[in-house]
Amino acid sequence: MQKQVSGLNKGMGRAYARPASKSLLGEIKKNSMAYLFILPAMVGIFAVILVPLAQAIIISFKRYYILDILREDPPFIGLANYATILSDPQFWYSLRITIWFTFACVALTMLFGLLIAILLDQDFPGRDIVTVSVLVPWVIPRVASSILWKWIYDDQFGILNYMLSKIGLKSFANFPWLAKAGSAFWAVIIVVVWQSVPFIAVSLLAGLRTIPDEVYEAAEIDGAGFWQKTTLISIPMLRNLITILIVMSTIWDFKVFDQMFVMTEGGPAGSTMVLGIYTWMMAFGRLQMGLASALAMIMFALVMIVTILYLRLLMREETF
Amino acid sequence: MKSQKAKHKALFRYTVIYLAAAAVMFVSLFPFLWMISTSFKPTSETFTRIPRLIPKSPTLDNYRMVLGETMIPKYFLNSLYVAVLTTAISIVVASLGAYGFSRFRFPGRSPALIMILGVQMFPSQVIIIPLFIVMKNLALLNTHKSLLVSYTTFTLPLTVWMLKGFFDEIPRELEEAALIDGCSKLGAFTKIVLPLSLQGIVASAIFAFIGAWNEFMFAMTFINLEELKTMPVGLTSFFGRFTVEWNPLMAASVLFTIPSLIFFALVQRNLARGLVAGAVKG
Repeated sequence: MQKQVSGLNKGMGRAYARPASKSLLGEIKKNSMAYLFILPAMVGIFAVILVPLAQAIIISFKRYYILDILREDPPFIGLANYATILSDPQFWYSLRITIWFTFACVALTMLFGLLIAILLDQDFPGRDIVTVSVLVPWVIPRVASSILWKWIYDDQFGILNYMLSKIGLKSFANFPWLAKAGSAFWAVIIVVVWQSVPFIAVSLLAGLRTIPDEVYEAAEIDGAGFWQKTTLISIPMLRNLITILIVMSTIWDFKVFDQMFVMTEGGPAGSTMVLGIYTWMMAFGRLQMGLASALAMIMFALVMIVTILYLRLLMREETF
Repeated sequence: MKSQKAKHKALFRYTVIYLAAAAVMFVSLFPFLWMISTSFKPTSETFTRIPRLIPKSPTLDNYRMVLGETMIPKYFLNSLYVAVLTTAISIVVASLGAYGFSRFRFPGRSPALIMILGVQMFPSQVIIIPLFIVMKNLALLNTHKSLLVSYTTFTLPLTVWMLKGFFDEIPRELEEAALIDGCSKLGAFTKIVLPLSLQGIVASAIFAFIGAWNEFMFAMTFINLEELKTMPVGLTSFFGRFTVEWNPLMAASVLFTIPSLIFFALVQRNLARGLVAGAVKG
């Protein structure tokens, strides 16, 4: 990872060390071309991401029922939307299951991602075929894989229940995976993990490849076995990469929408109503834009805490 | 004696490796194979108590039905249109931006880069509400423009970041020589840097394409006219109506997967590169 990241930036900094004596205005003038180059990208990000973010903050302080705005300007109601949400038991339930969902997905994704990366780092005939197979779940569009898994989980004719009853678990013969609160939650976790593992495994594999063989050879001479090499060399040397991947996965899984929406729509009976779905439904199901924006801002604040952590980690890794 | 022990050790090692590899391959591939298998089965082989992976009497009926009697071909073309245009605009804008970040040390550069990284992490739920209201006011709901504007912007942070990485690897001396020969800065960029980083541009383009090809939430929110729907939304509404017709559903899912399968195959070698900071998730 270190090797890779610094590779991305090599050649920077040396030819262009900034002369210390130049004034800020002079620097801006000298680099005026740079601003032209980045202008279109920055305008886009500003207009379509940052301005809407500011608008979302404003809307979150308004009573904004979308059918009303034909008649009157939505009035400011201060923090009332936030107060409503904080006293809404569904919000607390959603927050709790979103955190559990995220925790389970990240833990399982990292565990399997690491195991697969270690497997693919071994030398064995046929490794390339295994590497390509591992990528397949990543390639399938999220909506397509959600529908596919719904078919796999089908209570009567699904292949999963067939396999489970084949190996002697007869009680699963007609088990309605997505129609029961507890199992629906785990069923979606399995799908999300299935689709997230390839990226994590490939990233960790790239990291493992940067560890020089000599380090392992030296450890072997000292009598280290497979387990010691993994826990005492591989994992510590990839610590930064692993942390970054954990933070990234946490942010992604916390925002989960597609798989949950297609597979359960937050059901049965609201039991898988994660924050991402709850916020969207508040906005486009109940048309309560003010309340939904307040919910979105709470999501945003939680994600930003993790994002800041992520950026600080990256900053430690890279020189810009 | 010693070689005997070593042989046993190697045997043990390979046994563990191949057992693990078999398990990994089964879990990764089986659901996908099941999708393909179901798409070629007649209904009679689907609603059976003893399912088989290889269909007894494979049929193209499901594909015929999906392509001939449903809106799926329209959804597919809509998705293709939106994704290709998103990719094209995103790559032009991003390569300019990435070049600016790669070759100049200007005041405000670091904050701008940090912002680009941070923006990728925003939950879309925050942006979608005000953007929906803006699109409504501009009468852009139920147009592909609403998706093009959103997708292009959302892919920019990733494409800028990836391309910056590729540009950084091209030695500056090459451009300096061109500049001395009287080439303009923009000329040096288009004639030297762009051709040399073609591989990186292809990789970034594919990630932009896959992002747009996959997107579900905005497409579902901004578009509700059947003839404008993209594949993810169309497939979901198709799913709602034909909920137990798994065979045509799987045929449509296979069609939906093919483009991203092709592109992933093309980009495979560059996969590990620039991904971590680039934050892609298929």
